[in-house]
Amino acid sequence: MTSRIAKKRGEWINRDKPLTFQYEGQTVQGYEGDTISSALWAAGINVLGRSFKYHRARGVLSFANHDVNAMMTDGVDTNIRADVWPVADGMDIKAVNTIGGVLKDKNKYIDYLSPFLPVGFYYKTFYKPKSLFPFWEDKIRKAAGLGEVNFNYPRIIKPKKFAHCDVLIIGAGLSGLSAAVKAAEQGLDVIVVDENKQAGGSLTYDYAGEQTTADTLTSLLGKVESNPNIRLITDAYAGGFYGDKLVPLVGKDGITKVWAKSVIVASGAFEQPPVFRYNDLPGVMLGSAAQRLIHRYAVKPFNKGVVVTANDYGYRTALDLASVGVDVVAVIDMRRNGAPRDLSQKVRDKGIAVHISSCIYEVIPTSDKLGVKAVSVCPYDDISAGADSGHTVRLSCDGVAMSAGWAPAAALLYQAGTKMRYDYSVEQFVPDELPEGVFAAGKVNGVFDSKARQLDGQRAAAEAAAFLGKTVDVVTVPKVEMAPPSHPYPIVEHPKGKNFVDFDEDIQVKDFINAAKEGFDNIELMKRFTTVGMGPSQGKHSNMNAIRILARVRQLPVEKIGTTTARPFFHPTPIGHLGGRGFHPHRYTAMHEWHVDNGGVMMDAGMWMRPAYYQYRGRTMSAMEAVQEEALAVRQQAGMIDGSTLGKIEVFGADATEFLERFYTGKFSKQKIGESRIALLLDEAGVMVDDGLAVRVDDEKFYVSTNSSNAATVYREMQRNVQLWGLQVTLVNLTGAMAAMTLAGPKSREILSTLTKADISEASLPDGNMIQAEIAGVDAKVMRVSFVSDLAFEIHVPYKAGLHVWKQIMAAGESHGIRPFGTDVQRLLRLEMGHHLISHDTDGLTNPYEAHSEALLKMDKPFFIGQRSLKIIAKKTLNKKLVNFVLEKDFTGDMPNECNLVIEDGNIKGRVTSIAYSKYLNRVIGFAFVAPEQGSTGSTFSIRTDSGAMVKATVVKAPFFHLLDNDGE
Amino acid sequence: MKLLECPINGIRPISEFTYGGEYRNMPNPDTCSDSEWAAYVHYRNGAPGLKKEWWYHTPSGTWFIAERNTMTDKVNRTYLLGQEEAK
Amino acid sequence: MPLGLLKYGLSSEHPAPRFFRDCTEPKKSYDAVIIGGGGHGLAAAYYLAKDYGITNVAVLEKGYIGGGNTGRNTTIVRSNYLTPEGVNFYDASVKIYEDLSEELDLNLFYSTRGHFTLAHTESAMRTMRWRAEVNKHVGVESYVVGPEEISKACPQLDISCSGQAPILGALYHAPGSVARHDAVAWGYAKEADRMGVEIFQMTEVTGIDTKGGKVVGVNTSKGYISTNRVLSAVAGFTPRITEMVDLQTPIVIHPLQACVSEPMKPWLDTILVSGSLHVYVSQSSRGELVMGSSLDPYEFHSTRSSLDFVEGLTTHITDMFPFLSNVKVVRQWGGMADITPDFAPIMGKTPLEGFYLDAGWGTWGFKATPISGKTMAETIAKDMAPDLIKSFRLSRFEDYELTGEKGAASVGH
Repeated sequence: MTSRIAKKRGEWINRDKPLTFQYEGQTVQGYEGDTISSALWAAGINVLGRSFKYHRARGVLSFANHDVNAMMTDGVDTNIRADVWPVADGMDIKAVNTIGGVLKDKNKYIDYLSPFLPVGFYYKTFYKPKSLFPFWEDKIRKAAGLGEVNFNYPRIIKPKKFAHCDVLIIGAGLSGLSAAVKAAEQGLDVIVVDENKQAGGSLTYDYAGEQTTADTLTSLLGKVESNPNIRLITDAYAGGFYGDKLVPLVGKDGITKVWAKSVIVASGAFEQPPVFRYNDLPGVMLGSAAQRLIHRYAVKPFNKGVVVTANDYGYRTALDLASVGVDVVAVIDMRRNGAPRDLSQKVRDKGIAVHISSCIYEVIPTSDKLGVKAVSVCPYDDISAGADSGHTVRLSCDGVAMSAGWAPAAALLYQAGTKMRYDYSVEQFVPDELPEGVFAAGKVNGVFDSKARQLDGQRAAAEAAAFLGKTVDVVTVPKVEMAPPSHPYPIVEHPKGKNFVDFDEDIQVKDFINAAKEGFDNIELMKRFTTVGMGPSQGKHSNMNAIRILARVRQLPVEKIGTTTARPFFHPTPIGHLGGRGFHPHRYTAMHEWHVDNGGVMMDAGMWMRPAYYQYRGRTMSAMEAVQEEALAVRQQAGMIDGSTLGKIEVFGADATEFLERFYTGKFSKQKIGESRIALLLDEAGVMVDDGLAVRVDDEKFYVSTNSSNAATVYREMQRNVQLWGLQVTLVNLTGAMAAMTLAGPKSREILSTLTKADISEASLPDGNMIQAEIAGVDAKVMRVSFVSDLAFEIHVPYKAGLHVWKQIMAAGESHGIRPFGTDVQRLLRLEMGHHLISHDTDGLTNPYEAHSEALLKMDKPFFIGQRSLKIIAKKTLNKKLVNFVLEKDFTGDMPNECNLVIEDGNIKGRVTSIAYSKYLNRVIGFAFVAPEQGSTGSTFSIRTDSGAMVKATVVKAPFFHLLDNDGE
Repeated sequence: MKLLECPINGIRPISEFTYGGEYRNMPNPDTCSDSEWAAYVHYRNGAPGLKKEWWYHTPSGTWFIAERNTMTDKVNRTYLLGQEEAK
Repeated sequence: MPLGLLKYGLSSEHPAPRFFRDCTEPKKSYDAVIIGGGGHGLAAAYYLAKDYGITNVAVLEKGYIGGGNTGRNTTIVRSNYLTPEGVNFYDASVKIYEDLSEELDLNLFYSTRGHFTLAHTESAMRTMRWRAEVNKHVGVESYVVGPEEISKACPQLDISCSGQAPILGALYHAPGSVARHDAVAWGYAKEADRMGVEIFQMTEVTGIDTKGGKVVGVNTSKGYISTNRVLSAVAGFTPRITEMVDLQTPIVIHPLQACVSEPMKPWLDTILVSGSLHVYVSQSSRGELVMGSSLDPYEFHSTRSSLDFVEGLTTHITDMFPFLSNVKVVRQWGGMADITPDFAPIMGKTPLEGFYLDAGWGTWGFKATPISGKTMAETIAKDMAPDLIKSFRLSRFEDYELTGEKGAASVGH
């Protein structure tokens, strides 16, 4: 049986493109342009899903992207919204959240238990005894949720686009399109967006049978399409309103981020269901849903029906229904005055009975509870909201259309910061104070009359133009006298309940009344206790009725209740649309390829990739073997490490020395050209932040290095302080521009000598000095450093020359047994040398006194960052101390790890910050924080290993090489 | 997303900037008491209002001052430190 | 079907009383006034009444109870901190939480699910080990696990994180839990009210009256109340209250944002946190993924949402769970986090006599709700802070004795 009717003017389906798909094992015919719901409804299938909580059968409610009881899965995607998702040929879908199919859902028994599941029931039980809660929780978790996630779903990244405009208009209905034309006429650049596949808003379903409506739409669309200042985007929704008027437009293919200079919200209104028993049965739908079915999809909503209404929309719905052959039994008008005479006469002329001051008391379900059998109608007093259930009349029918009122689609206005007020002339919330540059037009602004909506759009456009500096005549919108489009209380109580307010969450009238009884009589508390509006439709059809019920319970006017906050997103938005490409940039040094080609085991070091060690020349070793081999090479012959990641900053200008004196703890004024000094940086609280070297290049120029991980932040703080202190200093960050390598070991001088004519003898280039020299034909800075070994040269060359110089040195060192070494090896080597690493051996609170760095503090200087705090700290007793330690000779026990604790008498005294076995020394050596009384050379302390064993450690002097000469301790 | 005007590079998205905290006057370290210094180091004016703040335009390496209301996120003006009169 | 629900189906009148009275007009005077009707303030009121018999107490809430950060956090409860004082404190909180549903006679949905802090770098692994060692020392069940154990607990997790940030291991924390956050506030309100505490919603404090260095009363939107003991437990509004009494603190306010997905059938049984990817995620009993990220980068006194946040978060979520591409985010929101320089709270007495501070809760306030209430109640009742919170005193900043949580708290939820 098909409910598809004859072709409607402007219908959205393409009858030339029929298609076939499967629903719950049944083959269904549809057309291109159909949504899943329209195709199913056309095929006479009315049970489209089961509700979240009670597993009640549900059909079409809104047909406006909040039918969240009609969610489908095709086995790939889940939670597909049937009311808006297009059908595709061959798709195979079923409803989510059922066991055994939508018709026979085994969970439907929960509906019978509903009297025992009052509002917030889960707070009141399942917790005594505590041990049973996991059992109940498991049941609740399994019952909750909607669709099942497909773990094989591919990662999809949708592109992001960006757009700018003078005016962004949200909603391409009558007021939005009118605004667009007006704004474009002022020369403004306009974007209009609408979530529907076609523009026109209610013009495509309300009054849609009338020629004037079609003419208006055709004319407006003609103007929009012919105006180059207007970009019309359909099938995309404005997801939210963010700071500085950023509005993401969410389309099927991705998000367009629009930065608008002004925004006109013309998003219309959501039709609200009147509330009566069994208003949720398949076949009971909103009037606008019925109209959309008829005019957009050419589907007859039902065969024999009634319309329950509290405004004139219901009468037009009745006429539309009658026009497509529905046997409309009656219009049931909840108002005492009914519709204007001419309108109600039109309805009566079609042979439709009109009952004023009446309501639907309840819907009588079919025996399978899957549809409508009849309605029970009774007198209704619209002031007291009292239904006279003693005088009911039963009308047989198979469908009900409901038109009792509207709620503004004001989510974006709220997000923009609009203050709303309740307007009794339309019985809805309307904008009261709008933020600068934000305007509202049409139904969302409380304007319902067709002519007035056009003018209201033009008015908003004129105001936006004026806001943007255009001279434009003010447009006034005359007030049209009409009955309020919304009923102040379209709610019919019933002792047996099942009169639903929130269809997402299965919340009934009594749930609100009981929530209020339990003290949740503030709208936000009520929302949280009942969960109204917290389902996927975000209260689009339920928040307004919830507010009306609470107002009545508390005997307060609606405006005193207020509204809940409307947060993004306007519609649920896919993670793949929002998330971009995972952006994890890496930096490569000039020698990167060489490392990879020579077996470098590359590791992340901040943004950089660095070799930890090498599987050198195709050999396969354990990390431990490789590290010890490379370390031994440095100790006995030579090794080289790529140090390009060091921060490298040139500081020059008349005040360069003064700047370093203030910035670092040391003294630089008497530093000779070519000499280096340790550059220790503290923060204002005296905590150690960074250490590097500062080499004086000439009188007014220093070359400063920083730790690799701090390069950017140190440079940034230097820049800030240059500005703050007003010094004549220029900073150049050479971190990425220069490659650096350290050639270390007893043979290093011999190797380097073969590549340079410069005198690099001990006398000419002692430790801590730098010369400018040509290395392998490249102009280089050559510095004697002793971080990893007593004899070592740090060579800095331009990035482009890095690989060449590196290769030349490796070649020159070949006959000396040179090895490249990585960061793991560097850690061991510097440990042997007794050098701590800031932020490895120190933490976010370590001061120089705790890390035996007093010698670096020149407290007699007038000022350096952190100095004043150190003066305070110096007066306090030290509570921890970083020491060098060794384990016993030939230690074979449970090896401690970094971060194992130092324990004494069951108390934490400190922790191991670095520990390693040194093959060169044949000892386990390390650094640890200990209590100050444990810190003197020769003292012992205990480390607790992962397994709980206690290991004795002895404090020794650094560097550790004295361990070779004697027994050390 | 917010936009912010760098005095050198013009209006840019906020993701290009690094927040540098409130601009604060340092007490004279030679004359202030220990507790005045400790307060300067650790305490902040956390109440909302119009504040002078450090901001850094990361791609160009520009520090500047923004006068921003921390309640509304509205920026009144931005300028290089010491050049507020020129603006 | 538990028997406790039978009465609801068998009675025509809804057989449940109000959780708390509808208090409208405050009395002229109270023994103590608590500013802030969030979890912390209500818990303090409850323990004042229960532990010390001090029931002549007013809780003043400018909005509705539990409407601040109590109702905005991602409900994670854990105690795997870095410092012994931190671990002890939060462990005491976990222990109260475990029995709190029974104590408050309300199901808080306290659900122990296990908590993994994922480490993607060697240095993160070091911090995990450090935390594990300290936790173990204090008797809290935390240990470092490898990728295989993480996969076992969450087979859907892409251990390589789409090749972007491979997971090297994690700190596993067995007691890690989630709870129904609103219910915690309601439960404390219910029981405090039952013992006589008066809770005033929609009641704003506009000033604090002092005389000779002592608190003597508070001005409110409902008139003047005299009292000589005032507790400020207002999280993101703390600077506005401390400004009233010229009290300096290090607290700055940064927004913290979160979002939820559409409900789906349960698949994520554990709580996952990734410091490197700035993500924490769990699945609620409604089936929603509850997701959060790190603090917004600059001071802002607002609960507005930003697109940057949700773009960044979802990018990283899909690094971890590529198959979530077509799962939808329903709603995002924000809270105002009161941040301290050492990522630890500020609790206890202040230089102003009778003015007590419970603040600096940043991103870690919900998990501390019971123990902060209990210890602040003791502080107020005895005018002396218990040892458990001594290291959280305000004067630690002047004394240069900050707590050591700084290292572990890059993402500390």
